[in-house]
Amino acid sequence: MRDIRFLVRPRGLGRAAERSGVPLFLVALVLLFIFDPTTSENFRSAGNLENIFANQSVTGLIALASVIPMVAGYIDLSVAGIAGLANVVAAAIIGTYHQSVLVGLVAGVAIAALVGAINGVLIAMLRLNPFICTLGVYIFIGGILELYTKGQTISNGLPVSMSGWDSAKWLGVAQPFWLLLVVAVVAWYVLTQTPFGRKLAAIGSNEPAARLAGFRVDRAVFVTFLLSGLLGGVAGDLLTAQTLGADATTGASYLFPALAAVFLGQTAIRPGQFNVWGTIFGVFLVAVAVDGFTLLGAQAWVDQVFNGGALVVSVAFSTLMARARDRRARTEAMRAMQDAGSPAQHHDTQVPDVSHADAPTADV
Amino acid sequence: MCEVAGEQVSTQAPADPAIPDADSVLYVRGISKVFPGLRALDAVDLDIRSGEVHGLCGGNGSGKSTLVKILSGVLRADSGKVRIAGRELEAHQIGPKLVRDLGVRVVHQDLALFPDLSVAENMMLGAGLPVSPVRSVQWRELRRRTRLNLDRFEITATPDALVRDLPIGVRSQVAIARALQDVSSGEGVLILDEPTAALPAHEVGLLLDAIRRLAAAGHAILFVSHRLDEVLAVTQRVTVFRDGRVFAEHRTAQLTESELIDSIIGQGQERRADTARSVPLPAAGAQPLLTIRNLSAGPLREVSLEVMPGEIVGVAGLLGSGRTELLRAVYGDLKRTAGMITVAGKAANYSRVDQAIAAGVVMIPEDRAGSGAFGDLTVDENLSLSVLREYWGLVFRRTQLRSDAEELRQRFRVRAASGSVTMKSLSGGNQQKTILARWLRRKPVLLLLDEPTQGVDVGARSDIHAAIRQVTKTGGAALLVLSDFEELAQVVDRAVVLRRGKITAHVPRERLAARHLNQLIYEETDNHA
Repeated sequence: MRDIRFLVRPRGLGRAAERSGVPLFLVALVLLFIFDPTTSENFRSAGNLENIFANQSVTGLIALASVIPMVAGYIDLSVAGIAGLANVVAAAIIGTYHQSVLVGLVAGVAIAALVGAINGVLIAMLRLNPFICTLGVYIFIGGILELYTKGQTISNGLPVSMSGWDSAKWLGVAQPFWLLLVVAVVAWYVLTQTPFGRKLAAIGSNEPAARLAGFRVDRAVFVTFLLSGLLGGVAGDLLTAQTLGADATTGASYLFPALAAVFLGQTAIRPGQFNVWGTIFGVFLVAVAVDGFTLLGAQAWVDQVFNGGALVVSVAFSTLMARARDRRARTEAMRAMQDAGSPAQHHDTQVPDVSHADAPTADV
Repeated sequence: MCEVAGEQVSTQAPADPAIPDADSVLYVRGISKVFPGLRALDAVDLDIRSGEVHGLCGGNGSGKSTLVKILSGVLRADSGKVRIAGRELEAHQIGPKLVRDLGVRVVHQDLALFPDLSVAENMMLGAGLPVSPVRSVQWRELRRRTRLNLDRFEITATPDALVRDLPIGVRSQVAIARALQDVSSGEGVLILDEPTAALPAHEVGLLLDAIRRLAAAGHAILFVSHRLDEVLAVTQRVTVFRDGRVFAEHRTAQLTESELIDSIIGQGQERRADTARSVPLPAAGAQPLLTIRNLSAGPLREVSLEVMPGEIVGVAGLLGSGRTELLRAVYGDLKRTAGMITVAGKAANYSRVDQAIAAGVVMIPEDRAGSGAFGDLTVDENLSLSVLREYWGLVFRRTQLRSDAEELRQRFRVRAASGSVTMKSLSGGNQQKTILARWLRRKPVLLLLDEPTQGVDVGARSDIHAAIRQVTKTGGAALLVLSDFEELAQVVDRAVVLRRGKITAHVPRERLAARHLNQLIYEETDNHA
């Protein structure tokens, strides 16, 4: 990938490790589970691998949906809830109200986009705190779904062909994985190859500066929440096909695995920045780890322990790495000036860290 | 470079320099401090007697803040010594704890109070709240002690009042009382760093009275300020710094305001200023590039101004005069409440920044780190954000972006290891050149520049001046806010003086001089006290 964000490369191994920590960890885990005698057979079985690929698509879609606002410096905790909403709406329209599959799926995505737009209005237009707001929306949706489903699973009347699509393969890999891949490519394209994506990165880096640079910050942030909701809807539709039904809690349960993947992803590929491919690695790292440890005999607790641990570790890792990068940048900047051997008077020799207390500052 | 021959300033010799005053609580002798590329302090001397209010004046970058930081122990001097309350300290010994133990207290402009806590809590949090055996706060005792302090410093506030509900002037007094509460009368050195900068005029007198009372109680006070009328009103002596040196020490009683201005600015600067300008004024009858009619926005009231093509117009004003808001209002970043603006003959009443940019108006904001630079993005990305669309084909054309950026970096002399280093790893001057290049590549017609050379070294400063001149030479114009009037006088073709949201003076080219601008700014600053 590109050499963005690096002033000074940690020599050799260190730098490679920083960028590819998550992918390497993923490989290491896969090897461990392949060669560990207790997990080897089951882990390598075609069914299990397929499971990992197919079942992670929902997590992956929700994680990608969350990445979009995060690039602009905003967080959307409601995506998993929105996916659950789309899940129930699609299942109810197809199963309970006997509409066509297409109508159900479109309705799921539409209502998801609507909630995304509501998030956008609350956060981008009314400038409410995104963390609290989207957490509220997440909880609110959970309650509404509980009310509507009365705790029951909607499963009658859904055509089996739906789950057929889900389990069908293309080039030997389950179709949902291809869906995830397509969405990932589109997200990567939008976030890194379009002016819109670069504006989001600028907003994420310094919002007041972005505003003064003439970017329509409120509009861009609104769009990120709209897109995030929309993708959440796609995830919900996929979940409907996968489970051939819906209930109030399944969608919501993806919140933490997806979040863990996003934060793990921030430590990889382009360290310090939320990015698409890092997130995809994050999704599969979480999945493989949970799968393997479950095969090792761990119980249901492993999910939460791993997701929670991944969140804290990845945040710690990326924060400490960012600090180290800043330090290196400073020392290198100082060194570059000394190497230049320039007469101090005529060149910039100010200490780069302007926030530092002992930098020479102009009198107020 | 400032010690110009023929300096006619009333440079009085410091009063009996050889004889250390027996009353002085603070002696500063030969303190020096060098930053990379900058001699911030060059062997400065200073002494303050107990019971004295001693003024410290000087232009931006003259070393006042550096001395305050050294005296409070947060910055270590390279050489020199101080004597505080009879204890002699070498440069390397001056540390925050020791200095504090010897009775030095600093109150900064921002006060560092907790607005949502009560006066009592603010007073005692630092000193330690009185607690019961089970470590709960003893509120009654807290109130009692606070009341004693409020009485001692004659502050009209109750212990339970929230600090944010107090008038700003009283807040300053609370901050001072908090600093001095454990210093007995007749002892200690109180350093007030721009204490009145944030105060509304009618509260300044109140604070000055409080300062006089503190001096009467025997505290030694160093009063660091830009506001010369206040310095003259409250101090007994004034030390003037220029370029890191003590330029003069005056007895306030024998000093007039214009003498003090002379001392701070000097007169040699002005001659140089006139020769530096060589661009002819535009032909008479040309259409103004920027017309502002009766503009009201934020603190601005009925501001009218015309800027001709080719002109750089300076905006001189104190903090809070509306100088920043004037630029923001033109840029569409501040809502107008009245008035109209045209750029190149077209209505330019922008309500959004992107409209201004599309019309060729760009602004370099004052707060570089906070609203100019994208610190986490690369230098090349920072250079390209103004023209993102040019690079969008089917994919982002990064190769093109980089080669364009490289060309810009060379043209604007941005010193960076490469274009892919982060913006925040650059020095202030190089960041500013990057930001300037980002906007100038759009070939703007009107530049709005808010302190573009703040925290920028001499070399980068002249690069920036040249870049601005380049725009105006090709028919553009610039509105330039600078609080360094020497620089302003050198760079601009004419200036306006803003005071309390109004243009109070138009300064034509032939009268452009830092001294004159300073007089317009300083002398007219109200007659409170």
